[in-house]
Amino acid sequence: MSGVVAQGVKRSFGSVDAVVDATFHAMPGRITGLVGPNGAGKTTLLLMLASLLAPDAGRISIDGVDPVEDPAAVRRMLGWMPDALGAWPSLTARESIVTTGRLHDMSMTGARARADELLALVGLADHAASPARVLSRGQKQKLGLARALVHRPSVLLLDEPASGLDPEARVQLRILLRDLAAQGTTILISSHVLSELEEVVDDTVFLVAGSVVAGAAAPATRTYRVRLAAPDAPAAVADALGMPRELVGVDRGDALLVVADEAAAVAALRALVNAGLPVLEYAPAQSALEASFLALRHPDQPAGPPAPPAAPQEGGAA
Amino acid sequence: MSGARILTIARLELTQRLRSVGWYVLLGIFMVLLLGITALSFLVFSSNDLPGAGVFSIIVNFVLLLVVLVSPTLSGNAINGDRDAATLAPIQVTAATTGDIMLGKLLAAVATGCAFLLIALPFLAVGIFGGGVTPGMFFVSLLVLLLEIVVVAAMGVGLSGLIARPLFSIAATYLVVAALVIGTLIAFGLGGAAVRTPVTHYERGWDESGEPICDSWEEYTFEQPRYDYVWGFLAANPFVVLADATPTEFDVDGYPRDMFGQITYGVRMAQKAPGSERWDICDGGYDSQPSPEEQMRDTVPSWFVGLGIQLVIAGGLFAGGWSRTRTPARRLPPGTRIA
Repeated sequence: MSGVVAQGVKRSFGSVDAVVDATFHAMPGRITGLVGPNGAGKTTLLLMLASLLAPDAGRISIDGVDPVEDPAAVRRMLGWMPDALGAWPSLTARESIVTTGRLHDMSMTGARARADELLALVGLADHAASPARVLSRGQKQKLGLARALVHRPSVLLLDEPASGLDPEARVQLRILLRDLAAQGTTILISSHVLSELEEVVDDTVFLVAGSVVAGAAAPATRTYRVRLAAPDAPAAVADALGMPRELVGVDRGDALLVVADEAAAVAALRALVNAGLPVLEYAPAQSALEASFLALRHPDQPAGPPAPPAAPQEGGAA
Repeated sequence: MSGARILTIARLELTQRLRSVGWYVLLGIFMVLLLGITALSFLVFSSNDLPGAGVFSIIVNFVLLLVVLVSPTLSGNAINGDRDAATLAPIQVTAATTGDIMLGKLLAAVATGCAFLLIALPFLAVGIFGGGVTPGMFFVSLLVLLLEIVVVAAMGVGLSGLIARPLFSIAATYLVVAALVIGTLIAFGLGGAAVRTPVTHYERGWDESGEPICDSWEEYTFEQPRYDYVWGFLAANPFVVLADATPTEFDVDGYPRDMFGQITYGVRMAQKAPGSERWDICDGGYDSQPSPEEQMRDTVPSWFVGLGIQLVIAGGLFAGGWSRTRTPARRLPPGTRIA
């Protein structure tokens, strides 16, 4: 099976069970997000996928090859970018990429050409001759990405690739990853920044306490942020929907509206527009990924920021 | 395993080292020391008709001393230092195998040791110019020096793979090297002095009037340390290996010409059991002493045993470090962070 497949993967360190039961399939041509709280075992799982750590039980397959049985074959098609990539401090960005290429059995000329190509691709061309020691955190991230891509891998494992990147670089990273996915690369990204991850991933794998749990859909009841081109949005929204004012939350001047499901959200928007309110923005207050992630961690609590105590069901009908 | 990858890793190590100023300061200090040592050596061996051999031997021994003192710092954190800096795992996920990484690191550590030898080359040339350095002495001593550089480097790289923390692996490398350099001396000295046998001294001297007494022996007994039981400890000493392996050159009186020969002579004499002593005025005083060259004839060389022991220790540590660095890793040294 192509892509990244994990079946019942388990790994413990002494008495600590880092990964208990990881089962998922990241498909080629798609970007899969690996989401989980701190200490959920994401890094351990990525280390096993990257052929650095052997699982205690279960099977891993990278484009059909088991990294325990044939690590060399896996490494030929795998690009790995760890969360903290150690850069060789006194080597320049260009030398770092060339060295990595040489370690992938590329010829000197091939590695040099590829290094120039990648420096331009990740936007480090201006810093090609700077020693890695003087690069900023974001620039080091770009260098790490370039190093992971040096041998044109068909599977990319990225651990927090966007951390330290400025907004422009994040957009570039997103475009680059979408591009690679379009070329058929399997991409697995682990990240904490869920709102950002949501913009780029096709699929999501949730890892909680070492186990992959069902990728729960975002809970139906969600909070929407309503921004009006008018003062006192909460009151206006409450009046338009015929709701008691205390049921509409406030956040930085915007109204927070809790709706039961998507149909209710549509109905509420229609009601607001029909009431002649100048609606500027009407969107979930929280990304779907974030909402389902929080729902996963705290199944008993309602998702979202401070919201009115009861869900105004009648709001949609008004 | 691939030569190109091993060279890439070795070059990576060396490039980083060559770009640090401290390294050049160290080599500069070493050069100044060599200058002083060469000058003093010429003074020491000035009475010799061919002082060059003595100067050469002292410089080679000094290079070995420096290798033993500095090499553990440079090789003792090769693997775990990279792991700490998170630069090991990115190499491990490339096509570079564990063997490539281990051998590349070893090559870099050996090359660093050889840098000391390289700096010493002009001084060795001065020694050769001084006369007395035979081709056998030249090639054998430098070859053994090279092997000692490899042994210390392999111990350092091996221990850096076996022990998680760089500080401890460097200390452990120093301890292993010190066990060979100083430990063997301590074992030899204490061991020999702890085991003693009575030795009888026979004497025919003069009576009060100054006439020789030739009809009776005076004898008294005292204890002598038995270095002949423990001389084997010295065999594992790097300096002894270097000296013992190098062919000894004697001057016309049968005395060793250089420091290699002097060390060898000392070690070889320790092989001899203390025997009864005789001082006989009726027969010309003490038994006439044979020259060192004659005394060494019935002693045995030991350098290959010592070098063998060193290679076994270094090889064992290196293999241990190798197996601990294998990926995908099953067991990790306690406290290890893989990436």
